[in-house]
Amino acid sequence: MNSPSKRILLLLALLLAFGTVIAQETPTAGGTAIVVLGSDPEHLNPGISTSYPIGAVAANIYSGLVRQRADGVPEGDLAESWTVSDDNLVYTFTLRAATFHDGTPVTSADVVFSMNEVLAPNHGRFITAYNQIASIEAPDASTVVITLKQPYAPLVGLLTVFDAPVLPKHLYEGTDPLTNPANNEPVGSGPFEFSEWVRGERLEIVRNDDYFLESALLDRIIFRVVPQDVARSTALEVGEADLAWGFYLPPADLPRLEANPDLQVWRGITIPALYFVFINNTTPGLDDPLVRQALMHAVDRDQVVEQAQGGLGQAASGPFGAGFAYAYSESTDYRTLYPYDPDRARELLAEAGVSGLELRFVYDSARGAFAAAAEIMRDQLGQVGITLQLEPVERAVMVERVYNGDYDLSMQSFTSSGDPVIGYHRIYLTAAAGTPFVNATGYGNPDVDALLAEAASLADLDARAAVYDQALEILAAAVPTMVMFDELATEAAAASLRGMRTLLDQRDGLEFLWFAQ
Amino acid sequence: MSAGAGDAGDGGGLGRYVARRFVNAVPLILGVIVVNFVLIALAPGDPITHLIGEFPAPADYVERVRADYGLDRPLPERLVRYVGNVLRGDLGFSFANRLPVLDLLLQRLGRTLMLMLTTVVLASAVGLTLGVLAARRPHSLGDRAATGFALAGYAIPEFWFGQVLILVFAVWLGWLPAGGFRSVRIDYTGWAAVVDYARHMALPVAALSFRYLAITTRLTRASLLEVMNTQYIVAARARGLSERALLWRHALRAAALPVVTVIGYNFAFIVAGSALVETVFGWPGIGRLMYDSIFTRDYPVLLGILLLVSVTVIIVNLLTDIAYALLDPRVRY
Repeated sequence: MNSPSKRILLLLALLLAFGTVIAQETPTAGGTAIVVLGSDPEHLNPGISTSYPIGAVAANIYSGLVRQRADGVPEGDLAESWTVSDDNLVYTFTLRAATFHDGTPVTSADVVFSMNEVLAPNHGRFITAYNQIASIEAPDASTVVITLKQPYAPLVGLLTVFDAPVLPKHLYEGTDPLTNPANNEPVGSGPFEFSEWVRGERLEIVRNDDYFLESALLDRIIFRVVPQDVARSTALEVGEADLAWGFYLPPADLPRLEANPDLQVWRGITIPALYFVFINNTTPGLDDPLVRQALMHAVDRDQVVEQAQGGLGQAASGPFGAGFAYAYSESTDYRTLYPYDPDRARELLAEAGVSGLELRFVYDSARGAFAAAAEIMRDQLGQVGITLQLEPVERAVMVERVYNGDYDLSMQSFTSSGDPVIGYHRIYLTAAAGTPFVNATGYGNPDVDALLAEAASLADLDARAAVYDQALEILAAAVPTMVMFDELATEAAAASLRGMRTLLDQRDGLEFLWFAQ
Repeated sequence: MSAGAGDAGDGGGLGRYVARRFVNAVPLILGVIVVNFVLIALAPGDPITHLIGEFPAPADYVERVRADYGLDRPLPERLVRYVGNVLRGDLGFSFANRLPVLDLLLQRLGRTLMLMLTTVVLASAVGLTLGVLAARRPHSLGDRAATGFALAGYAIPEFWFGQVLILVFAVWLGWLPAGGFRSVRIDYTGWAAVVDYARHMALPVAALSFRYLAITTRLTRASLLEVMNTQYIVAARARGLSERALLWRHALRAAALPVVTVIGYNFAFIVAGSALVETVFGWPGIGRLMYDSIFTRDYPVLLGILLLVSVTVIIVNLLTDIAYALLDPRVRY
């Protein structure tokens, strides 16, 4: 780039590029975006399920009391505002004037009905909050009062459309919420109205012009079902889709998508999620904390992230990862406590008097990244004399085996759901065998249980941090579970699409999407 | 069919045969239901996991959901109830989709038939033609090409071939859509819609046909070569019949019997093969429903699909036998 004419050309190109960007940045209304789903939603009632595709569609049809901005701070959705009593027990929500898509007003009766009659008996995650709730009342049509049994910090974060959607009482009252026809033709109060659903093929929602907040920019959104992961990348490349979330994208395809000028790829943290390896603390040998520490030293977590996860992660920094500053402490950072050090691992194994360990590594065969991680770990653990027998099994079988203790090591990933209390405490709390998606290690420590319960009751984050510090100390020494890495979220979209990730959950807030001309 | 129909002509004999085959099919279908039901129930994995979502739920809640779906009842009781319902035409309620199974199957069946019938017709017609061409001049260049093609078709897995087709025709050349049943962005009507469907069908049909086309080609060639060397053909040739008349009027009819068997047999396998191809191409048919239902342990849907496939196989076998009678004057029922 030495001749002046080339330099001028470059300058012109840059000007043109910036000029276009500036010209593009005025949101324009209209158009259709095609969003990829990996499978059909089972139905469209977010009040009875925590399924990912149901949430993706229903979050844009229904509303919750609050929604979480991209920075994790809650703001009013159906609630215009709320107040919390001094003892942190009484939450009073004032509702906005809003209507369902059939024209019926949304009132506090809908909120109380949804929570008591539909969510509490049927929603796996709302139940965690409901167990802390003493009463939900509607003193007038636009006020909802939630009274807690004891202070519970994550309450507001659980009142989003994903965990506490407000359903129309007039359609659900007196019916079985599991089989109500509105589950397949939902009537919500959100930015989009349900339009058409051809199972296995497409699901269409259109703009709600009477939305109580700012109306959506796009005319409609079509969710298109593409069951095979590589076919989703292809759909983006050939222009048959405009947006795909990382949940549905194979990490290996990202460099190719990134190189495509018609597409944009984003990586970053949205809702923290943790990848870890359950250690069966009841397996002979693994019942010794020294051996579990040796496992941590023997695995090069950076290599696992690089090669198995396509670099989409950061090696974990402690029992709760790095996603929440108040649940992290420098003194228990696994990167300094347990760096990759095979020699140290061998020393610890010798100290524990353990040799020739043979372990069954059980994982969900559909997770390609788990399979790759398993291969790498087999090699690395082999170097310190631990033999891994890889046992890829179908997901349903994995759940049955792992949560009944029929494994030695098992790779897993849990989402935090926006608060360690909701998503991460379950990794360490004492749990009964046979319950899926909790602590399957057999490790149980009454002190840890008490500390985590205390943390869950503290709304003040500094106070919570102090309690977490104590729990982290115990956990970092005991290593009941190998923490591998924090997940980096991704997203691939058409280059002209704007307004993604305005809200915390990538699936939420599709009303902010628009196309640059 | 009256008892005195014994001396009726061929049509009556065939009619009675068909009726008897239908009666025989009833215990067969019952057996299929029972075996499938037990096998699926014994497979590891619990549909409750999928019903509740991947989150810890209180044990009493899990038990209540189990009871809501009748999954807490003993296996024999569930089996008897299921068979009773099927006999009344009720295939049950899908756990995962919260819809009646029959509705789900009917929604998807048309789409799978579109793929299957096109595949069977295409594979049979092209396969027969290639087989005849190859058999006319054994060991010629054309024959070698056809045999090589058949070998490749037989050896290449259809889901892999499907992905290659997508890569070449959708990604590199951009001629055809990469997947789906019709265009999502534009709603076509009339003739444009037909063209749109055809464009979306081209690659999955090609992926699905290749293998069956190959089998039909190979079999037609082998069968025809064998017949062409039989004494009656040699005698006919000695009497001065043209090669064309020999081939089309005499040999092909005799050689067609094993080919017809294989076409009928293929039909059942295409249902199974369509599970993979439908998944690769995002085609909303029965095969993909089966694939999804296995992962969600959606027992009622799986049983419904297996029942549908079994009945299809029984009917196609029957049609194959009838085709035998029509093709071969020696076959009498």
